[in-house]
Amino acid sequence: MFAKKVPRRKASALAEGMKRVAIVAAGIVSPLGFGLTETLACLRSGRDCVTPVSTFDVSKTRCKTAAQVDDTRLLPRKSSGRRQQRLHRVSHMTIAALDELRQYSPDFVPEIAMVGTTSGGMSFGEQFYRKLNQKSHCAAVWIANYPPQKAIVDALERFGIDAPAQVIANACASGTNAIGHAWLGIRSGQYSRVLAGGYDALSELVFVGFDSLQAATPEKCRPFDAHRSGMVLGEGAALLALEEWESAERRGAEILGEIVGYGISTDNHHLTQPNPDGSGARTAMQAALTSSGREPEDIGYINAHGTATLFNDSSEGKAIGELFNGIPVSSTKSMMGHSLGAAGAIEAIVSLLALKYQFLPPNINFEKLDPELSLNIVANDAREGELKYALSNSFGFGGTNASIVLRAA
Amino acid sequence: MKIAGAGWVTPLGADVEQVWGRLLSGETAPIEPLVNEQNGARYLVRRIPRDALTNLPPHPRLRRASAISRFAAAAGLNALHGTEVDPARTALIFAISNGGVIYTRRFYAEIVSSGAQSASPLLFPETVFNAPASHLAAILGITGASYTVVGDGAVGILALKLAEDLLAARQVEACLVVGVEELDPLVCEAYRRWRLLRDPTRPQSQRGMILSEGAGAVLLRNDSGDMAIETVDPGENFFSRDEIAGKLRRAVARLPSEYEVGIGSANGTFIDQAERAALGTKLTLYSPKLALGDSIGASVLWQVIVAQQALRSEKVPGAEVANARRALVLACGVNQQLGLCTIRSL
Repeated sequence: MFAKKVPRRKASALAEGMKRVAIVAAGIVSPLGFGLTETLACLRSGRDCVTPVSTFDVSKTRCKTAAQVDDTRLLPRKSSGRRQQRLHRVSHMTIAALDELRQYSPDFVPEIAMVGTTSGGMSFGEQFYRKLNQKSHCAAVWIANYPPQKAIVDALERFGIDAPAQVIANACASGTNAIGHAWLGIRSGQYSRVLAGGYDALSELVFVGFDSLQAATPEKCRPFDAHRSGMVLGEGAALLALEEWESAERRGAEILGEIVGYGISTDNHHLTQPNPDGSGARTAMQAALTSSGREPEDIGYINAHGTATLFNDSSEGKAIGELFNGIPVSSTKSMMGHSLGAAGAIEAIVSLLALKYQFLPPNINFEKLDPELSLNIVANDAREGELKYALSNSFGFGGTNASIVLRAA
Repeated sequence: MKIAGAGWVTPLGADVEQVWGRLLSGETAPIEPLVNEQNGARYLVRRIPRDALTNLPPHPRLRRASAISRFAAAAGLNALHGTEVDPARTALIFAISNGGVIYTRRFYAEIVSSGAQSASPLLFPETVFNAPASHLAAILGITGASYTVVGDGAVGILALKLAEDLLAARQVEACLVVGVEELDPLVCEAYRRWRLLRDPTRPQSQRGMILSEGAGAVLLRNDSGDMAIETVDPGENFFSRDEIAGKLRRAVARLPSEYEVGIGSANGTFIDQAERAALGTKLTLYSPKLALGDSIGASVLWQVIVAQQALRSEKVPGAEVANARRALVLACGVNQQLGLCTIRSL
């Protein structure tokens, strides 16, 4: 799928002793589909993947929809081993993502896995609580498969990879934080190869939580729209194989793209709301640009955090409008919902596909721009574009903000 | 990276020197019973004394926060006491295992008992793993990097590794690493179902873990401190209990230098034997979990502080370690993670 020749040049921002960071493989499972090819097709067609929630009772919530991964394709067949059948579905998503990644680069052996998540196998914790409440048998298997690190540990085990797992739980910024920290580690020479990404699965507790905050919408997800009314949850797993550039070249790895910058900031305004002036988002984006050595006009596409909540889109939209002048922006959460800890990793792959195939993924369900914002939204349909760099944002509860800059190979 | 400050909140108190003195004198934290109202099960636990947080200054962010955030704030502020840090150039890194489980259980209990429409929007934000880090960042005015790392009892090693990476990349001048956990019957029940807890009718038994709560924090920087965290090895995952000793041995073999004392993570479970098998019987090996309980996410930070105190005093409870310059901190969790670090006196 990725066969383009890699230009041999040094990024201008590279300080002495700093390494370049290549993306040598990727794998993804999301409501958009299984694998890069399905994901690309879905992004190009602007398909709305939001459907009624089927896995738990939503009769008493305002929001009744989510973007869900198809279990009929995900879960193991009955003929597979008992251990496989006991795993949480988030583990199966992560295994599928790693399986695809390994097809692109079978000899990629990471020194460490850095991944983001918010709740791991939370639904097993819910089942444990409910069974306990009913004073019925509680399977120990739910407990053992519930912890947030379990999905990546299961995936590493499945492919016999002896790498430690550093699991970052920075709420909705987790996936981008994991990729960004992996970039930093390779760039500064701490590591040569890092498996980075994120995962999260839909759970009742989290779904009801966002509903209780009235952050989830009973309508369509319309990021940056004047009539936006909230987010829709999603789920998935995405992994990227990051490798020090020269090491990748030496072993003849196919290079899909490059991570060139990362910015992180903490917004102390409120536990769940960003500073309305957009300063937290702006600081993260500016830091990512600075570390990449690029100017705002170098960026050809911004994959916004764009949850479609009133507060996020207002704050992020203001920051983008101030920092960038008319650069195309979309929130692909309009198609696939907000997959929380996986979102940053999924959207990094969306940005990678946009760079590779020179197109702008759409922000669907869009009618009219919020009049307070000045943004060039890629409204409803994918567009062709000429892109060298893309910026991807992830912002989360707790005021964690993260942005990365990617470059086309 | 050097240890420029340390603080903790433990079931034996919140003053580092005082608690260390009590540990050296052979004291162990009191064991209390805890009853699960859901099913009537009883557990043995070690809790934070009520007066341990009396010096914690008030802050609007802590008004509604759960115990986990208060423990973290108290330990973090203690670690910073008497030091000067620039909040804009300081990273905050948390190590957590179960997180804000008290509010999580309460939030979900309302959903189960009264329906989703009764779920509290006040509780939900506090259930998020990084809520304690967010509160401490707000208290300290930290506006740059903040990370919450989650995992099992070895998660503290992975948090220290993250700090090492940030300092090595010269992204920050200092890292405040905080490990923290709070107790709840739901967590106890999970470990009980896993057959890891001590039999509540046999509190003096050496078998089975006693869960505890609290926080540990260290301020790390490249330029000041009389103790250094020399090597941080995030180890690897173990996929069966039979692998633990071998994988620990492999991690120990990678260490570039010798050590004179070990601060282990023995907690009355399968970990005890695996650690001994990995290290042999000659090394003086002390596990603070036997006196303070297993605080899971906080435990590695407690071990690091104990290692620091052992090197300073040339003692661990029950043994002299004269002229010891390096301590090995060994961390093995019950859910597939292990790692280690070494502390050196400068």
